[in-house]
Order: sequence, then structure tokens, then C-alpha cells
Amino acid sequence: MSLNIKKAFENEKNLWDVELIGEVDIYTAGDLKQVLMGLLQEKEADIRLNCKELDYIDSTGLGVLIGILKRLKNIEKQIIIVNPKDNISKLLKITGLDKIFIME
Amino acid sequence: MTTRCENKSEDLNKENVKVSLPSKPQYVSIARMTSSVIANKIGFNIEDIEDIKVAVGEACNNAVIHGCEDSNFNVEFTISSDKVIIEVRDEGKGFEVDKCPCPDICNPKEGGLGIFIIKSLMDDVEVKSSPGKGTIIKMIKCLSEEDKAHN
Repeated sequence: MSLNIKKAFENEKNLWDVELIGEVDIYTAGDLKQVLMGLLQEKEADIRLNCKELDYIDSTGLGVLIGILKRLKNIEKQIIIVNPKDNISKLLKITGLDKIFIME
Repeated sequence: MTTRCENKSEDLNKENVKVSLPSKPQYVSIARMTSSVIANKIGFNIEDIEDIKVAVGEACNNAVIHGCEDSNFNVEFTISSDKVIIEVRDEGKGFEVDKCPCPDICNPKEGGLGIFIIKSLMDDVEVKSSPGKGTIIKMIKCLSEEDKAHN
């Protein structure tokens, strides 16, 4: 399994729309970090993560999101998580991260 | 799994699967996939299978991060009719278990969530680690009464 990341800037809502497809784990977390950092370098804006087709994320992937969120918080921006599968919602809940990301 | 004789003792019914993998990130998914196939065979429900997969993934991450780059880490599954015991061992630097804090939501950190996640998802977890001697993470997941009835 691997990770496929689709990204586009939504002018209307002034945010990055990022679709995660596959698995974010210790092997692919570095790619996710690179892509998200690249987006913020291009334009500092909210990041909306569409997780409809994200099958798996582990602590290394969550760590990347926490790191990005810290950067976003400095400029009063957010990470918005959309459509997470049950297993991913459960992980966000037990780690308490559902309270620091915006869940939609 | 269904052709087991009733008069056999519990111990005789145990089966072992051992997987040895290089301490590299790209091999962790093999351990995860193995764990979900084994959990499925035992008869765990989908949510429990997912929990086992996540816990094994986190234990293996730990082995890769803290382990010795040039050596392998080992994952051993002890399979019985009503539970699975999983041990993940590395020969790495080890770490101080007591210094592994619970996540603090007011001050979230990029690392250190792994052991907390394992403890949240599994029924019993034991982490033995000492600096210089490597780490063993032993975790147990028991079949729910409902799933036992289905087997």
C-alpha cells in the first residue's frame, strides 16, 4: 500500500484542499510532511484534509499533522478533517486530537 | 480453527507465527498485514482487527525508530482460540518507559503517541525496555464474548 496525495487551492474558501488516498505510516509520513510544508510555502492558508479514502494513519502521520498545525496556529490558521473513516475517527478520539483539529 | 479436539489442553492448541523484518520503515506494513490476517483467522470482529493492526504498526514503528538499523526486529504471534499474544522485539538502544508521558492536548507533541495508542487499543500491554538492551513490547487482545459465540 502507498499514499497518494491530491492537492488544489480553493480560491472561494481560501484554503488548501488535500485529498489523502491510501495509508499514512512510518514509510509515507515523510512524503506527507514534504507536501504540506510545500503548500504552506506557496501560500499560508487553512488546510482541509479529505480523508474519505484514507485507510490508515499511525502516530508518525499524526505527528506530521501536529507539526503542521503548530505552524498554522502561529498564523491563526487551522487543519480541517473531513470524512474520516471509523478507524481514523477512533484514533483521533483516543489521542484527543479531535479537539485540536476542526472535525467536519 | 474449527477442527479442534475438545480434550486437547489449552497449551497444545497454541500456534506460533514468527516474522523477522529489517529495521526499515518500508517493512512495517508487512507486519501490519500479517497481524490483520491472523486476527481475522482467529475470528476477531472488524473493529478489533483494526485495533490489532494499529497496535502492531505502532510497536513496529517503535522498533524501527529505537532499534538497531543494521539488524532485524522480530514479531511473534502466539495464537489461541480466544486470544492473540503479540511480542515485538528489537535489539536497539532501548528507552526509558517511565519517561513516556500521556499526550497533553494543551501542548501536543509530534512524537511519543505510539505507546499510548497501543495501551488504549489492546487488553494488556507490557513494555520492557532498558537503555542499551533493546525493547520488548508484549500485547494481548482477547476475543469478545460475542465473537466467541460466532466461532
